[in-house]
Amino acid sequence: MVAETESERLLAVGMSHHSAPVEIRERLAFDENGVRSTLTRLVHDQIAEEAFLISTCNRVELYAVPRSVEALQEFFGAYRGPAGERIDPYLYWYRGKEAVRHLFKVASSLDSLVVGEPQILGQVKDAVRLAEETSTLGRVLYPLTQRTFTVAKRVRSTTEIGQSRVGIGNAGVDLAMQIFGALQGSAMLVGVGEMGRQVARALLSAGLAELLVANRTFERSVELASEHGGTPVPYERLADYLPRADIVIAATGAVHPIITVPMVRQALRDRRYRTIFLIDLAVPRNIDPAVDDLEDAYLFNVDDLSQVVEQGRAAREKAAAEALDLVDQEADRFLASLREVDVGVELRLLNEMAEQIRQSEVARSKKLLASLDESQAAQLDAMTKALVKKLLHRPQMAVRSAAKVGDQERVQTLMAPWKETP
Amino acid sequence: MERLPYIAVIVAWGFISLGHLLPDVVGERPRAWSRAAAAAAVAVHAITLVYAALWMPPGLSEALSATALGVGIAYVAVVRRGLRALGLLLAPLVMVLVGTSLVVPHATVTALAHTGVSPWLPIHLGLTFAGIAGFALSSAVGVLYLWARGRLKAKKFAGMSRLPSLEVLDRIQFRAMLFGFVFLTLGIGAGGVWAAATLTESWEIDPKVWFTVLIWAWYGGAVQMRVVAGRRGRWTAMFSIVGFFGLIFSLLGLNFLLSGWHGYGG
Repeated sequence: MVAETESERLLAVGMSHHSAPVEIRERLAFDENGVRSTLTRLVHDQIAEEAFLISTCNRVELYAVPRSVEALQEFFGAYRGPAGERIDPYLYWYRGKEAVRHLFKVASSLDSLVVGEPQILGQVKDAVRLAEETSTLGRVLYPLTQRTFTVAKRVRSTTEIGQSRVGIGNAGVDLAMQIFGALQGSAMLVGVGEMGRQVARALLSAGLAELLVANRTFERSVELASEHGGTPVPYERLADYLPRADIVIAATGAVHPIITVPMVRQALRDRRYRTIFLIDLAVPRNIDPAVDDLEDAYLFNVDDLSQVVEQGRAAREKAAAEALDLVDQEADRFLASLREVDVGVELRLLNEMAEQIRQSEVARSKKLLASLDESQAAQLDAMTKALVKKLLHRPQMAVRSAAKVGDQERVQTLMAPWKETP
Repeated sequence: MERLPYIAVIVAWGFISLGHLLPDVVGERPRAWSRAAAAAAVAVHAITLVYAALWMPPGLSEALSATALGVGIAYVAVVRRGLRALGLLLAPLVMVLVGTSLVVPHATVTALAHTGVSPWLPIHLGLTFAGIAGFALSSAVGVLYLWARGRLKAKKFAGMSRLPSLEVLDRIQFRAMLFGFVFLTLGIGAGGVWAAATLTESWEIDPKVWFTVLIWAWYGGAVQMRVVAGRRGRWTAMFSIVGFFGLIFSLLGLNFLLSGWHGYGG
């Protein structure tokens, strides 16, 4: 019988935001205790030898070395959707290399809703911790989880996957960082449109100290200012407050520019030429484009910001491609190491068998050659040991190298003569 | 003599420059080495320079070498703070300065014949060239500042994320300039004290001194512009770059073209 190697039996089953809507995902979600009891049950009921379970709001995934795939299918078949339907059509099943690859991708945040977000690795670590507590990690999954952490860290440190951020708000933050380095100053939001608020929110969460809000209707300014912990500013006194703002975000429905070159020039003078960074999100534009010609003013419009967003996306895609390559290589390396473990077991058996034969032959010879003194007996022992070792060396090397490249057929062919029982 | 260690120093800076110019080819690890290499090169350089100065009166070669050493120290300081983009400008500058110091004729200033070697010489030179190194750093950062500003104004953002922010660049270019200004002032002062203390015959202020005072005034103006008028950024960068060209001219050209105490007579 051709035994399946451990690495091929490795299985990943699950669903994520890619494969299932939230109504289905929530049916399969586990809390910590749920994870523990499920793992214990899977191993106790002889469904799996080893297992761990990742359960986050975007994915539920079981990694296992199953004893019986049928039993595992039955296990998932028991779950029902909101209308009583089976949920297994939403499941993906990965085996062997695909499973390893998938786990590496998940932990490296390549499969996340927001690619590159850093939380997922922590969630994977939590899942592994729970499995360690229930002692359901073994020969295959334990090294797999350790390697997963290494790979995820490598992806983060060698590619730029975690660097660029998404959305117009963060594009504003990126530009502000490019100019100011650190965000500690104050910003003025003119108008209360959604895009402007997005940028203001992003700036605030990036460390902005003060937000001034100016809107045509003062009540809305007050409302929005209280929402974000800002200060409302009377719209008519915009120009008076302008020097206070390091960053100006304009997003009103006004048809004519409301922030003009003389206003900004005066503001710069009052600020002793400290840089002003202006973002014009409105169409038609709210800030006179000629403001950008002023020495210490940097004006960016909606198109400039989308260019930053686009660039971030391009950088992320490039980084994701690099990261995938890395994950592929690492998956191959991990499987190779696992196969070596697999074949190592067989080779040990082979060695034991040969040693038994040798010992019985040596014992027989010693009986026949009764006159052997101690040193001669030792010599006989050493000689036979060397003989066996040398004879077995090449076949063993061949088996190892076949195992390394994953050529199971060749491994079996090479091992066959040693295994056949007369 | 001291050529061999200098050649090693040049090779080290060449290696470091290469790491900056071809980051993708060179890879991650040599980048970490480049900092160690820079520190080692600076150490070897300093020892060589001091050793050489003990043996013979310093001249143009030593002046250039001292400037290079100052820029090298600035490199180590700057790169440690994660401003790698600056290294791209500073590392080749060190290499060129050390290289030039090896090929220029060994000339010493005329004044030495009158004053003899005195402890004022290393003080005068040390202060002056510390100042020059500050100005070199300032102008290199100034170039980077102008480039980054140009990109932002042109709304071209590719590759910008590798650069420090405009504010940081502006701060460094000004601080380096201020450092340079303070040390140049002290250096000029030390020269004056030395001359007053050792020269017995009457002496005239030579053209080099006039030109240096001009440069000093230029940098003083730059500091004024910033501190008093609040003009920063591009103003500081332009002042710094133009000033450094003046310094290079003074350092390389003036001593040969002109006669006087600082002329290379012997």
